Amino acid sequence: MKGLYLLISPRFLGFRNQLVRSQNGKRKRIILMSGLGLAFCAGMFAVSCRVLIYFQSAEMIGDVLARHLLSMIILTFFSLLVFSHIITALSNLYLSGDLELCHSIPVDVEELFVSRAFFTVMDSSWMLIIFGLPVFMAYAYVYRPGPGFYFTVLHMNLAMVIIAAGIGILLTMILVHIFPAQRTRDIIMLLTVLMMGALYLLFRFMRPERLVDPEAFFTIAQYLNALKAPQSPYLPTQWITETVWGSLIGSRGGILFGVALTWTTAAALVVINVWVARAVYFEGFSKSQEAKKRRTGGGRVLDLFAKFITKLFGGDLGAVISKDIRTFFRDNTQWSQLLLLIALVVVYVYNFTVLPLDKSPIRLDFLQNILAFLNMGLAGFVLAAVSARFVFTAISAEGEAYWIIRSSPLSLKRYLWGKYFSFLLPMLVLAEILITLTNHLLEVSRFMMLLSSGTMFFMVFGIVALGIGYGALYPNFTCQNVAQVASGFGGVLFMIVSSLFIGMIIVLEAGPVYVLFISNVRGTPVTIYHWTLITLSFLAAFLINMVAIFWPMKMGLKALREYE
Amino acid sequence: MDMIKISDLTKVYKGLRAVDKINLKVGKGMVFGFLGPNGAGKTTTIKMMAGVLAPTEGQIIINGTNLAREPSKVKRWVGFIPDRPFVYEKLSGLEFLRFIAGLYGLDNSPSLRKKISELLDIFELSHWQQELVGSYSHGMKQRLVMCAALLHGPKVLIVDEPMVGLDPRGARLVKDMFRDQARMGTTIFMSTHSLQVAEEVCNEVAIIQEGKIIAEGTGDGLRRQAGVDGNLENIFLKLTEGKRIAHERSLSSN
Repeated sequence: MKGLYLLISPRFLGFRNQLVRSQNGKRKRIILMSGLGLAFCAGMFAVSCRVLIYFQSAEMIGDVLARHLLSMIILTFFSLLVFSHIITALSNLYLSGDLELCHSIPVDVEELFVSRAFFTVMDSSWMLIIFGLPVFMAYAYVYRPGPGFYFTVLHMNLAMVIIAAGIGILLTMILVHIFPAQRTRDIIMLLTVLMMGALYLLFRFMRPERLVDPEAFFTIAQYLNALKAPQSPYLPTQWITETVWGSLIGSRGGILFGVALTWTTAAALVVINVWVARAVYFEGFSKSQEAKKRRTGGGRVLDLFAKFITKLFGGDLGAVISKDIRTFFRDNTQWSQLLLLIALVVVYVYNFTVLPLDKSPIRLDFLQNILAFLNMGLAGFVLAAVSARFVFTAISAEGEAYWIIRSSPLSLKRYLWGKYFSFLLPMLVLAEILITLTNHLLEVSRFMMLLSSGTMFFMVFGIVALGIGYGALYPNFTCQNVAQVASGFGGVLFMIVSSLFIGMIIVLEAGPVYVLFISNVRGTPVTIYHWTLITLSFLAAFLINMVAIFWPMKMGLKALREYE
Repeated sequence: MDMIKISDLTKVYKGLRAVDKINLKVGKGMVFGFLGPNGAGKTTTIKMMAGVLAPTEGQIIINGTNLAREPSKVKRWVGFIPDRPFVYEKLSGLEFLRFIAGLYGLDNSPSLRKKISELLDIFELSHWQQELVGSYSHGMKQRLVMCAALLHGPKVLIVDEPMVGLDPRGARLVKDMFRDQARMGTTIFMSTHSLQVAEEVCNEVAIIQEGKIIAEGTGDGLRRQAGVDGNLENIFLKLTEGKRIAHERSLSSN
């Protein structure tokens, strides 16, 4: 046990030191991130309460829906927990830098395994608190259960985490036993992305908005019968749902059996994991240090592309951009995210094909104008999200090899603008596809089509500059997985600033368009006063766009020059 | 003419003076050894010379040009080999060298291809040139970075701990390469922990301690300065001893 304590202690000491010794800037980051986390929790709580109160207003079926929702939430959490444990178990058990030291010291392999499994649980489960707590508290707020509910939620969630960890870690050990850890990581990353994309598409194509459509009520009544049927009785999530629901409504029947089933499963999985670890963990760790991918892929196609890029950008920048493209397409964790992007675009466009415009009580042309504006905002937000993942991380993607750029004759200004222009073209294409396709489905007027595509065209210049600039302001050259950089402080700040930028541009354009629309409907001419306002609005939008392009690039360049 | 001239170079990290007003001159074709205990300021100085780190004060003149004023021009004359060879793992060795050639503005000409091939041969990496760098060992990555640093024919080679991670054969290769380069007129500025390497390869050395140059000159000059006979190790220990003992005393008195 002493060995176990010693193996776990560096994590706690590191965490304590980070808290105690963090400087002012870092503390501000922690405060901002905590504030955002709390705001998210509050939002989740409010939305969950609203949904549950809405369910309760429906007699007969309210409780059935609430219970079904609870079972869906628990099943989703459980699935996410299992996947999250597989991914973090890979790095904690097989790929972490400190493992060589840990395996060389005189501790039992069980102790080492348990300590790493403990880290895995800590790393994978904290999100559950942020996402789960507000939902369970919303149930408590609406149903007003006794204190037993809170205790049940606490220990059943703990059991759920242990079961998910047990399954996730066990699967990881089996996978690494079959494949080397490096390949397993690639396979799992790819599977995760495919699964997320498939789930996202599936959920959207099920058209959940039909649930609020009264005309579809007959089919819902049939659907409710299916809802009342339980999930598989062998699923731990079913036992957890039954137990939590029972304690929520004050029913005692079957609760103890559910608790016993859940906790004995959790305990059994712990024992099985330790047994399996004793048999295969060290062997897997040993294998994980072998066999990194050796062969290059797609050489000829990439060579041709590199030649084209070099002609376009010149030798030095061409070399950087070609290197970025090669790296991107050879890293499974990178290119696979394009699949998610495609799913996002497909669903975004699909949403516009199912909009019931003809059923709206509002004038169609007016509604089309409003939706076109809303569409600009949403498409802008989609572009900002895509930029957060791909553009914002472009500087950090250099990783620890950044010294090569810094010590080369390529000036940082040219480097930064080169990165900017290399992302500009694909982002412009994406933006124009999104906006023209959706506007076409909305059947908007020619004027709105021109205005939307023009606005999006210019906004992309600002969004990409914000991405590159903030990426340079908050680079992370030491992160193992560059996709994680986007979820850090700089990435969140970039999303906030770019959302504000998009919002400002749209608000500034909404006034003039409203004036023009009204004058068109009434058949009255636009006054000089209104023309002045329209000109000023567009001028302000143009100026904001210019600031969004040059200010972050300037700040980013300064930050990179001073980076140590 | 001095190929490297450093004047009052200072670097302050959050109140700590890592490098404190150092002055150095290195002539053309010299191999200059930069010695010092751990944390003395060697890597910080080297990084400033390579243009990776901005100095707090002072200036670095290379081949008569100020690095701070014309960084791109100076960097074209410099080859930098850091102590840890972080490179792009998803490129093959050959692609990495072509990438470096592009950064230094070298055309993809037959002469470049010949040079790449020669360097890969010299550093015994020809067999691995199509493999991803991620699969290379530490020593192989170090040798690849050396190829990259020599690709554009630098006038000045700045090297941080060149022998770390190299096997005896690799170490011998590097020492020979330094001598050859110096003979051809390249100036080499090299930090090292290995006093044996410094003794074998360097024409002159400087010893840095707590950010300050405490001794500088040829082996004989340093012997006179330290007042001891024998090899560089004795001189080094003698020159750095006073401060070390003072440091130990202050610790033990607490």
